[in-house]
Amino acid sequence: MNTVNSTPAPVPAGEGKVVPSPPSPPSETSRPVPAPRLRRLGRVLTIIPALVPTAFLVAIVLALFALSGFAVNISWSPFQVGVRWPENFGWGFFGSDWDPLAAPPGQPHWGVMVFIVGSFLTAVPALFLSMAIGLGLAIASTTYLPRSVTRWLDSFVDLLAGIPSVVYGIWAFVLIAPIFGGTLNPWLADHVGFIPGFGPPPGLAGGTGLPVTIFVLTLMSLPITTLLIRDSLRAIPTDLWESGLALGATRWEAVRRISLRHGSRGIVSAAFLGFGRAFGETVAVAMVLGVNAAYPINFYSSTGTIAATIFGLLDSAYGNSHFLAALSEMAIVLLAISLVVNLVGRRFISSIIAYEVPGI
Amino acid sequence: MNGAGPANGGAVMSVQHLGVWAGEHHILDDVTLDFAPHSLTAVVGPSGCGKTTFIRSLNRMVEVTPGLVVNGSVLYLGQNIYDRRVNPVHVRRRIGMVFQRPTVFPMTVFENAAFGLRLIHTDEEEIDRQVTGALIRAGLWDEVKDRLDRSALSLSGGQQQRLCIARALAVRPKVILLDEPTSALDPVATQRLEATMQRLKEDFVLILVTHNVGQAARVSDRIAFLHAGRLVEVGPTEEMLERPKDPLTAQFITGRSEQ
Amino acid sequence: MADLTMSDSSSATEDSLFDRSFRTRWRVGFDRVVGWLLPLLFLVAILPILDLVGYISYRALPTLSFQVLTSTSLTRTDTLGVPILSTAEIMAFSTVLAVAFGLLGGVATAEFLSERAAGWVRMSANLLVGLPSVTLGYFGYFTFVLYFGWGLSFVAAVFTLAFFMTPYIFRTADLAFTSVPRHIREAAVGSGAAPHQYILRVATPIAFPQVLNGIFLAMAIGIGETAPIVLTTTLSTTLPSTLYSPVSFLTALIWENYAQSTATPAGRALVDLAFQAAFLLIVVVIALNVVVRVISHRFEKRLEGLYQ
Repeated sequence: MNTVNSTPAPVPAGEGKVVPSPPSPPSETSRPVPAPRLRRLGRVLTIIPALVPTAFLVAIVLALFALSGFAVNISWSPFQVGVRWPENFGWGFFGSDWDPLAAPPGQPHWGVMVFIVGSFLTAVPALFLSMAIGLGLAIASTTYLPRSVTRWLDSFVDLLAGIPSVVYGIWAFVLIAPIFGGTLNPWLADHVGFIPGFGPPPGLAGGTGLPVTIFVLTLMSLPITTLLIRDSLRAIPTDLWESGLALGATRWEAVRRISLRHGSRGIVSAAFLGFGRAFGETVAVAMVLGVNAAYPINFYSSTGTIAATIFGLLDSAYGNSHFLAALSEMAIVLLAISLVVNLVGRRFISSIIAYEVPGI
Repeated sequence: MNGAGPANGGAVMSVQHLGVWAGEHHILDDVTLDFAPHSLTAVVGPSGCGKTTFIRSLNRMVEVTPGLVVNGSVLYLGQNIYDRRVNPVHVRRRIGMVFQRPTVFPMTVFENAAFGLRLIHTDEEEIDRQVTGALIRAGLWDEVKDRLDRSALSLSGGQQQRLCIARALAVRPKVILLDEPTSALDPVATQRLEATMQRLKEDFVLILVTHNVGQAARVSDRIAFLHAGRLVEVGPTEEMLERPKDPLTAQFITGRSEQ
Repeated sequence: MADLTMSDSSSATEDSLFDRSFRTRWRVGFDRVVGWLLPLLFLVAILPILDLVGYISYRALPTLSFQVLTSTSLTRTDTLGVPILSTAEIMAFSTVLAVAFGLLGGVATAEFLSERAAGWVRMSANLLVGLPSVTLGYFGYFTFVLYFGWGLSFVAAVFTLAFFMTPYIFRTADLAFTSVPRHIREAAVGSGAAPHQYILRVATPIAFPQVLNGIFLAMAIGIGETAPIVLTTTLSTTLPSTLYSPVSFLTALIWENYAQSTATPAGRALVDLAFQAAFLLIVVVIALNVVVRVISHRFEKRLEGLYQ
């Protein structure tokens, strides 16, 4: 299926106009005009299903806010106690002290900063890597390889996106992580240990920790970045590119000086959407990073991300209304960041990208 | 009928038995033609006759399209541009090209003109001088001298096309190929571009592909008529227009001269 | 007109095509090197995938048998019969729901909304697609498990998964119907067709392949999701018997068992089971993608004539 790079041609709607019963000439409206009587009822009925996605989105936002008790005092079961923020949590919510199940006389703490930092620590390096590789692949595809070859290679990269997260997780956990833990991490600790943060200890022998997480996240965001950059490079008019060559530029010079400049919007978009993917990845991260409510001591250790923590800790939170509220507030933070990143990312490109690649 | 003009010693470019094939089908068949200095040759013919392919063979741009095979040779100052030891990058610097649509890059006016120069030189003063010279020759200097650092996309269509010419001139080619350069321009801009071409032919060799016989009549010294990939006839402009020797030529010229 | 000539470059080098200057050789050489290096980057993408598929097959195939796939015996923990059936059951219901919402919504957007409203709705759908799966899972937990009071159950999982799949189907339905060529739409209007007649008789046959593809792709995505299931239901080894019973799901099975200790034979069996589930998932996802490609190919030829 081909990617469509333009929004659909606008079709005028007969809003509010009184249209006479005989159909208008095709040039004025291209939507069929129903009989006047049915129109009002029909219009309402038909528009309702269209609002489904917006309704879903609104529902999600409301639900998360409601569960967290933000501005709403919930006292119906299963909550025994109405939870109200910030009275119950205070500003410590963004602190670093996370201890939700502290037994009395200790106080439970809900500082989620650890997880926010953890999410960024995993997503940002993965973004850099997947953008770098994605750029390379996109340039190779559009400039250096013949069409017959790129068709197959591009499909392969798109296949990366179709693999379920949990399958990535089990492969990475069982096969890749031990390689990291047993071989790669110690080697790195020995050889690049002079860089602060990269020195020993080299983390668990099982290998779970930041390095393998970044590895997996890079693979998972790669299809998105590659596809978006590739599409923006393909959209460049041929004669623009050829003008560069005709002035004596090599392919690389033409790409660097002309194509990347022309396609810069697509590249920015790729960065945002790729970041969104890495930031929100839940299951694979939970499997190879675990849920560790502590700042990483060095590059090889584990920590927690927002998405993986919510996923991993929900079991422990059943019945504990405060805990649930804390988790749902983390979910709000996650949702807010996701929405912003996606909104900004989509701004620079047409709203229709490749619908066949999941997650875009 | 071929167009062997003065012996190779006088010609800047010399096309010799040029053939271009797409699989079994030939797009150009055994074209031989010379181009003398300070001349403007118009290449005309019905659509599909291969004139675009022809002009793209003169600076090896034909290689950018996959699947085409070129035989024969094209000599630039006696050197075959298709020699295996020659890199297309060298060829294209000496033989510049202007396309049908104005293809300005998304940069400032100055950077557009300097594009080719920046690939070769690093001396800012040098680049500055060459750009100024090129803009003057393209007849654009007065209009853009105060707007050099504005985006080139803010220029009108005709100005953009002249900027493309300046861009090509900046690297000091000896030959300039023009592939229907006025087809996207309005009549006023077309006129200005034709005036520019007439000025330029005093210093360069211009090869112009056009579907407009009137334009060929106005600006060219020589007209070469291609039909179905073959060079049917070539000769001085007035001769071709008034007394074409080949019936195919006559048919084409008279059929199109209302334009 | 000023004639600015370049300062004393020898015209011999200028005119020669056999330029041997260092700078040019560097430029050309660099381009050539890049031309070899960048395509090699594809290995970075391809090798992990091959390794993943290869390793999972390697772990799953030796112990995989027909019996393992189909046995629904309750006394054994190393069979996939129950998870497979349960997964199919959940997928069936979720797909029906998602198609109901997504298809109606998509068609309504394509046909009846103004461009402005459609823009908002499409943006919502795009945002939904980009949300982390845990967000939707958590939403499902709150809404269906707690608020509606269904508890951790089959229905909660079905509805949450349906929520998850709807935006995908919505987008492709919207695109499919919007892409119906304008001249066909106008021909229908010109012949006096009412909206429902146009949609049912004219647009649907044309949009059908694309919509079908969208459904298959949504299924491929849905079957690979873990969070919407794990967060809204408890897992069991029996088939769901009532609406409110616990369920089994292939991805959830992997999540439960991937880290089992391999010290005991029972533990090893569970990990092997997880690999077998993973293998099945890969097969299903690849199969669905192939089906989508086949459909695209077949219908592409049929529809060619429309786009005059």
